[in-house]
Amino acid sequence: MSSVDSSTDGGRWLDAHYDPVAGLYTFSSCVDLADLSGDGESRLVVGDLGSGSSGMKLKVYRGTALMSESTLLDLPAGLVAFFMDLHEPRIPAVAVASGPCIYVYKNLRPYFKFTLPSLEVNTLEQDVWQQVREGQIDPLTLKEMLEGIRKKADVPLSVRSLRFLSLEPDDMDEFVQLHKQQPIRRQTVITCIGTLKKSTADEDGVSCLVIGTESSDVFILDPEAFIILSKMRLPAAPTMMDVTGQFDVEFRITVACRNGNIYILRRESDKPKYCIELSSHPVGLVRVGKNVTVGCTDESLQGFTQKGKRLWKTVLAAPITTMAAMDLPTRGFQAVLVGLANCEVQLYRDKNLLSTIKTPDVVTSICFGRYGREDGTLIMTTKGGGLMVKILKRTATFDDRDSAPGPPLAQSVRLNVPKKTKLYVDQTLRERENGLAMHRAFQMDLSRLRLAAAKAYVKALESSLTPMSSSLTEPLKMNAVVQGLGPSFKLTLNVQNTAACRPVMNLAISFLYDESLYRMRNSYLRIPLLVPGLIYPFETFVECTSDKGISDIIKVFILHEGKSCPLLTAHINMPVSEGLMLN
Amino acid sequence: MGLFDKLAAWLGLKKEVNVLCLGLDNSGKTTIINRLKPSNAQVQDIVPTIGFSIEKFKTSSLSFTVFDMSGQGRYRNLWEHYYKEGQAIIFVIDSADKLRMVVAKEELDTLLNHPDIKHRRIPILFFANKMDVRDALSSVKVSQLLCLENIKDKPWHICATDALKGEGLQEGVDWLQDQIKTMRT
Repeated sequence: MSSVDSSTDGGRWLDAHYDPVAGLYTFSSCVDLADLSGDGESRLVVGDLGSGSSGMKLKVYRGTALMSESTLLDLPAGLVAFFMDLHEPRIPAVAVASGPCIYVYKNLRPYFKFTLPSLEVNTLEQDVWQQVREGQIDPLTLKEMLEGIRKKADVPLSVRSLRFLSLEPDDMDEFVQLHKQQPIRRQTVITCIGTLKKSTADEDGVSCLVIGTESSDVFILDPEAFIILSKMRLPAAPTMMDVTGQFDVEFRITVACRNGNIYILRRESDKPKYCIELSSHPVGLVRVGKNVTVGCTDESLQGFTQKGKRLWKTVLAAPITTMAAMDLPTRGFQAVLVGLANCEVQLYRDKNLLSTIKTPDVVTSICFGRYGREDGTLIMTTKGGGLMVKILKRTATFDDRDSAPGPPLAQSVRLNVPKKTKLYVDQTLRERENGLAMHRAFQMDLSRLRLAAAKAYVKALESSLTPMSSSLTEPLKMNAVVQGLGPSFKLTLNVQNTAACRPVMNLAISFLYDESLYRMRNSYLRIPLLVPGLIYPFETFVECTSDKGISDIIKVFILHEGKSCPLLTAHINMPVSEGLMLN
Repeated sequence: MGLFDKLAAWLGLKKEVNVLCLGLDNSGKTTIINRLKPSNAQVQDIVPTIGFSIEKFKTSSLSFTVFDMSGQGRYRNLWEHYYKEGQAIIFVIDSADKLRMVVAKEELDTLLNHPDIKHRRIPILFFANKMDVRDALSSVKVSQLLCLENIKDKPWHICATDALKGEGLQEGVDWLQDQIKTMRT
């Protein structure tokens, strides 16, 4: 395959649907595919974040059309479809995490709401508010006391107290009147959600919900009774998670946290078993087989083993917007889709780039799986709210080529080098033994050559054999042109005074030639005053008197009156006369 | 019709024609073939075809042997092994599945460019099935989406059908019968 194929999608995807104004604003964590009606056709379930603080909706698509939508009360943090019971037909429920609650929908109707247990409240804070209720302290004193608690206490303040502290003094009274009667509660919020098969690895097995919270906890919920089965503690608030295994057997939760580390939780322990410390913050986390691929804010993609050992790192062209796994079990194909800020979606298998899909807008969410009746469907939503559906061609193949820069293929082809001959070996030995003498001989010859060249040059300069005169009083330049086929030639001499401002006078041109071969009308020309910079052409005619097809050199001298040494000399190689003698 | 054909028709011997029935999964191929069979041979429950099945039915002058191919993705690579035997093709499209119209087009293009099909003047009958579904595309729209107007070297015909009720099937089969008869003479 050529490199062209790896830089484009190579015609591997069919464009099934594109609606640039679908009005879907969401992220990969809020998109899932599930057979919600049990008829073998998967639907697209999207937790739409809307625009601004309104318009949060749970949307369900069937094929190209929006099938249903229902309003959500709060911004969704995550959405998963999961089987919560063993009833037939096997219809999954949809869990939407928003705020401190999980809303469970069955048959697209609200079914159950689970709220996270509230956190411990600071006793000092409780006492202060108790005093406010009894009217013992005024709002300003309350503010002072709360600020004191905030600085010292181990247990953080409740949202109500924090809100109070941020108010202007004018609004405080009203706020206190409105809220003082209610008890203080401290509530955390869900940051990410995942599913974990309970006891079987079947496709339609019952799953537990796994939720990560702002209070740095991970809870595993029983799908039927919605009680907390297990609670695990992390050093920082989780942002993304990947869950694999079964709750009753063995499981592994890989969690990316807000402190830039990735922790791996196992069944036995309520503390992280392994920790991956990244050099920059993770923005995407995808598990491929047993390994984890992490996208970071420094525009890199890194692969880790399940024990946290880094396998590879590759640098991307643009910041990552989203990541998703591409898993085709029927073909045994697993890869990672990476959405980039330069309107591309790249497909990576380990560190090798397999294909690039160009998109008309920046992709914010990616979901790959079975949609409708088609197994290899890629669903993307864009920053502008568009929905894009692409279907992988049945005949598409991805070749696993190592794209890492290295020596080109041609370099590893063995050349047909002949065997070493006896002569070659002898020469090599001789060179090795007499290296010094050979070098000296070469250097001496080189110096002689340079000396001979320099001598010849000096001689040429001294006898003004060059067509350039470098004398200070008469700096001249000349070139000669011969025109004609013969026997008559026209000889044109272009003479130029190259001085800056001084004219040259009293010059003459004289020709020296073989009189048995050439005849010249006048072999002596007087040159008028030469104005600096201008080119003066002097023409003369030469006749070749021989018909033997031979030629000779004509020498041209530029002379100064009263001096015998020429200023310039030019040798003109006359061409062979090709015409016949007329006379 | 030649004298022998007339004699054969009079004797009740009908010409055998092999027809391939192709299309994506869940488009209604088996249901259509089932509808074309004599009413006493029809089955009530249609299940997804695995691999392929061979069905036979007769019209006024021809005896059809239909290779009802499975449309599931993993069986679609079986289709090409039967192209040589086929003397006509029935291509069934689910008009209600707008999303997979590109997949149907892709499979059709692969079919038309296959060396066993490309240079043969073989009649292709398209059934735009599931017309009973509320938001189904019309047969004109289906032929537009599949770019059927680009098929220049083969006779083709598209029928809007509802295989559950059997509407539109007879028209298509009549066309196919005429085409096969004109090709033989």
